[in-house]
Amino acid sequence: MSTVGLLRTLFNPKLLPSNVTQLQSLNRSPFLLGFLSNHEQVRNMSRVKRRNTHPGYWLSLKNVQKKDDKISADNLRFMREVIQDKYKNKSPLKVSELQIEKTEWDPKTKRSGVIARNIGRQQMWDKDGNKIVCTVLHVLDNHVIRYIPPEEYVKTSRGAIHFKNKTPLGCLVVGAEATNPEKFTRQYCNLFAEVGLMPKKTLSRFIITPNAALPPCTPITAGHFLVGQAVDVYGKTVDHGFQGVVKRWGFKGGPASHGATKFHRRGGTIGTGRDKARVWPGTKMPGHMGSERRYNRGLMIMRINMKYNVIYVKGTVPGATNSIVRIFDTLLPLRKFKEAPPHPTYFPPEDGTQKEEDIWDSRLHVFGSPSISV
Amino acid sequence: MLRRVVLQTFRQGLAQSFFKRNAASLSESAVTQHPIETSEEAGAKSGSKQKNGDESGNTVVVAPPEFRFMYPEFLPDPTMERRNKLKEKLERMDMLQRRSIIEIPEFYTGSIMAVTVADSNSPNKFACFVGICIQRGGSGLQAWFILRNVVDRQGVEILYEMYCPLIQKIEVLRLERRLDESLLYLRDALPEYSTFPFEMEAERRLNNSVVPINPIKVKLRPRPWLERWERQNLQGVEDLNLPQRYYDRAKEVAKPWEKYDLMLQYRKTIPAEEQEKIYAEVHSQLQQQDLKRKIKRRRGPSSEQ
Repeated sequence: MSTVGLLRTLFNPKLLPSNVTQLQSLNRSPFLLGFLSNHEQVRNMSRVKRRNTHPGYWLSLKNVQKKDDKISADNLRFMREVIQDKYKNKSPLKVSELQIEKTEWDPKTKRSGVIARNIGRQQMWDKDGNKIVCTVLHVLDNHVIRYIPPEEYVKTSRGAIHFKNKTPLGCLVVGAEATNPEKFTRQYCNLFAEVGLMPKKTLSRFIITPNAALPPCTPITAGHFLVGQAVDVYGKTVDHGFQGVVKRWGFKGGPASHGATKFHRRGGTIGTGRDKARVWPGTKMPGHMGSERRYNRGLMIMRINMKYNVIYVKGTVPGATNSIVRIFDTLLPLRKFKEAPPHPTYFPPEDGTQKEEDIWDSRLHVFGSPSISV
Repeated sequence: MLRRVVLQTFRQGLAQSFFKRNAASLSESAVTQHPIETSEEAGAKSGSKQKNGDESGNTVVVAPPEFRFMYPEFLPDPTMERRNKLKEKLERMDMLQRRSIIEIPEFYTGSIMAVTVADSNSPNKFACFVGICIQRGGSGLQAWFILRNVVDRQGVEILYEMYCPLIQKIEVLRLERRLDESLLYLRDALPEYSTFPFEMEAERRLNNSVVPINPIKVKLRPRPWLERWERQNLQGVEDLNLPQRYYDRAKEVAKPWEKYDLMLQYRKTIPAEEQEKIYAEVHSQLQQQDLKRKIKRRRGPSSEQ
């Protein structure tokens, strides 16, 4: 029977779910690729500290302006006029005005990444009629805020740890999602005002080789990536909250019937009783699950829409819909670039001849093309 | 290009009330409660496809209200956590692209359809299946429908994804509705209710504006059944002839308060204002595609002569 449908008999009562969606990637280990279901037990090194959910070193929660400032309506209007004036004069530099150094790409170059939002999943078909479920990533309005050269970055606390026994690399600070300056403190807004940008909601650091440096105010768009390349997507996984052992670790639990007394989804034994005579640290037990920082590596880009700045990536991405993710060129050795990508980033051609609006991978069936005949 | 698409003035009140009624609760129960009235109103709404009368001074593109029944897959999944306007817009663009290649006709649960699919294992490389649509669902490119038929005394059901590029042709042989939105009970019904000849030809509709409702009451086989049909308020099924205890238990287990639960209905549906916007966006392209196909059909037989 063709791959398009499901052949079912009169006696088979099971129906497909009304929405054919793919399971979210429950990437419980940094070493495992692909997704697990409840039926497989998680067999990574559980006694090695596997996760940390404390906020990242880069997060400082003091950016948000307190909302209980009692300002009169007149003062509020005045404030808004001031903001308008300030940002009207300082518009971000045009691409032609930016001083971009022409550097050579080599296989050891690390390019900048991109901040995007996971806006959902969409299915497409390849030329043989096989379904491919892609995650749609919307590349937000990324602008380079600052470039920190390697010598300076190594002196920072984080840089020192990162490059302790390695050759130091530079750091590019990129911001996305311009918002109302009223929401942030003056110090935070000034980070961007120096460059002539409105304050951004999200900031990110990307470790890059000096030859991939970009001047401040450079826009980074979906064209930064190529169709057919592999990317790593970093995000915070879906927060499942406090979960039991069956969902969290894939335990089988106990029998549903046959006299089982209050033992259906419990863990069972937690130790031997003999050696060590205690519960070992790292024993799999119920607890908080999800909301972990994870990478899904080696995802292929199937389609790029240059007009809406949207990337379609094959597979799933950590995190729920409408959450922020970071996209990098992959570090998987067999899927890295063999030819030069847009280096240091993509710039639309000056003479107005735009690249195609919608670029599809050669394996995909384009929706406007005739139906597939096998 | 904006066009004025308005309702006929003398039917305006009726059609608007239908629109509002369905805006409030677009669940299946609302539609099946007034099966006869919908077909009458459908007559009124067919006029709204043409430009007629004058509603107000504003030139606003409004799709006719029957679009939400003809093209239900354009509405996104109502789950708020997963909604994103940009993604829905891009998906709709892809759907319209696919629709420009193949005609996906208007159909309902209970319509008899023929689907031709590219199949490498078939002798002609194309496989055709005729069946009655027992269920449809999904939103966007994931939209699907299930066709059922009985072939050599074996019941066969096939789920087709409407936008799959392997599908060559979807033809509606008989366009009609039934008294229920889901005909899964045909699995437990006598086989004659699910049998349709593969050589069946498309039936021409006498009245294009009204989608007829087939008030047939299907006879079920004796128990055991695949589901507890007595608990499901089925309209299209003959008296089940069960002992009274089944009906008593059904009453105990029933949730009669659900029909008053406005939030439940709200969470299951897209608000009427959003629906209007979505269909307005998609309306002109669909009409253009429809027109092109009609012209092609008219030219087709004349060019052969």
